[in-house]
Amino acid sequence: MLRYGLAYGLLSSRRRAREMLLPAITIATGAFLVVIVFAMSAGIKKQAAGLGHAGEIGHAVVLIAVTVLLVGVVEAAVATTRTIAHRTRELGVLGATGVRSRPVIVALLVEPVVTAFFGALGGGVLAAAAGAVLAAAGAATSGVSTTGTVTGVVIGLAVSVIAAVITSVVPIWRAVNRPPVKSLSSS
Amino acid sequence: MNVTTSEIVSRTGASPQLSGVLPASSGGTFGRLLRFAVANIRRRPERFVLSVLGIALAIAAVTVVRTISASFAITGGDSVTNAIGTHAIWVVPAQGVTYDSAAGALVSNGPPSDITLPKGWTGAEMIAGVWHSPHGQVAVYGVAGTPRGRAVLSAELAKRLGVADGGTLRLGSASVTVAVKGGGPAVTVSPGLARDLVGNTGWWVADEPAVDQGRNDLGRLFGTAVGLPFTQNPAQAPAKNGHGLVYDTTTGSGALSFAQKYASAFSGQVTDSTLGLISVIGLVLGFVIAVSSFLASVQERRREFGIMSSIGLADEVLYFFLVESGVVFVAAWLVGVLGAGIAVWAVLPQLATPVAWAQASATVAAFLPAMAIVGAIVPVHRLLQQRPVALLAD
Repeated sequence: MLRYGLAYGLLSSRRRAREMLLPAITIATGAFLVVIVFAMSAGIKKQAAGLGHAGEIGHAVVLIAVTVLLVGVVEAAVATTRTIAHRTRELGVLGATGVRSRPVIVALLVEPVVTAFFGALGGGVLAAAAGAVLAAAGAATSGVSTTGTVTGVVIGLAVSVIAAVITSVVPIWRAVNRPPVKSLSSS
Repeated sequence: MNVTTSEIVSRTGASPQLSGVLPASSGGTFGRLLRFAVANIRRRPERFVLSVLGIALAIAAVTVVRTISASFAITGGDSVTNAIGTHAIWVVPAQGVTYDSAAGALVSNGPPSDITLPKGWTGAEMIAGVWHSPHGQVAVYGVAGTPRGRAVLSAELAKRLGVADGGTLRLGSASVTVAVKGGGPAVTVSPGLARDLVGNTGWWVADEPAVDQGRNDLGRLFGTAVGLPFTQNPAQAPAKNGHGLVYDTTTGSGALSFAQKYASAFSGQVTDSTLGLISVIGLVLGFVIAVSSFLASVQERRREFGIMSSIGLADEVLYFFLVESGVVFVAAWLVGVLGAGIAVWAVLPQLATPVAWAQASATVAAFLPAMAIVGAIVPVHRLLQQRPVALLAD
């Protein structure tokens, strides 16, 4: 059944690709910053050393970049609440016809997860390209680290997908477990 | 729809001709709008929580950066006052001066400029460097007039170095008697002893002759006399290939003191850095979440607003959203600044003080009214562009 839920979620995600654009952009912005911070960590450390407290400022930069990524991910969860509101009757029909809640939850989780994954990937790829351009142009005096770029992309993807699931699962669970008659009668 | 049209009219009290025939409810207009906003929040609690969470994260990011910045401002102001006191002129070497965070004081990066005091001016060379003591880095200031066998330090520093008033402190190869006095972060000794300990690094301080007191061009006067460039702007650094720079620390024609301007330049280093840029992007994303959430709310409540518009309550829709937006932003601000306080306390305890956090929280609060108003107006403006019949047709 979970397989069907996944397929159903992918199909509906394709249909709602336009609505997923804004959250994907906000996530991409956050992921871009995370990857740039990791890729150019040497330059940031140098700047932090100039301010004094190099270690603490360096930690603060990573903390703030990850926080901004989380802000972007929350937009995906807000978009999920919008999706649920649009599809309340559909959820009512699924519930009334005996479809269990677990595959429906999986189907609805596909949208935020896909948005988070592709948003983070897009932001990461853009950051890697920006880093390469900066390095080639000699604008990044402390260099752009390949290891840092890869670490940033992995962290960006992991944080985005996990945070998208955590923030979206509660509204989805609440919507799916509503009595079907209530969902069907909603305007 | 949980709230009927008659209830809306009754609760808002917005239509005077109808309020007489409909049952009145308690509270003023704002109270009614607040109750209406709370009712709508309860209708979609998860969206409210997510909006608050998103904006709170953005506010927390900005508050952390502003806390560090405010802390730098406090540190910068104090450090320059500790370094030069109330002297009118400060001559820094071409290598500049640095705030040593481990020592907690300003120190010089190069030898004092090779100058001779102009006639009538009073002042002296001051040694300022870092001593790598067994108890960590300590700033040492060599001030003319301090006896060679004496070291003046604050009670806090004395405790850190494990000495008491009247005790003996070993400074390199010399032993000096400790005098606990003042609250500065540096050990004050004679210039000769300071030079032996930290090398020939320092600056000049000077004061104008009695006849020139009250002038606001002391920097120009002194700089011209000693052949060095001069400024009243502490953000200006000396030219690396020059011989130094004369800072005029008098207020001049501006309202801010030199220490305040120095503090501002010091904190600007944080807000202008990568840290500041990232946090501002975060705040923009937080605002996007707010607008997106309100747009979704408007979309879902088109029929409700269509009914309100058709009975002449179009303007009140804006008030509903303004109050709802205010509730969201105030809740996000509270969560955000508290979260930032915890984050700063847990991750950056050395960088921030409660005063700096309070200042940062107040600064961030100043952004909120504008964000809340624009966040509410953008979606409602789109809604009010449409005729009631179009809203009711959906």
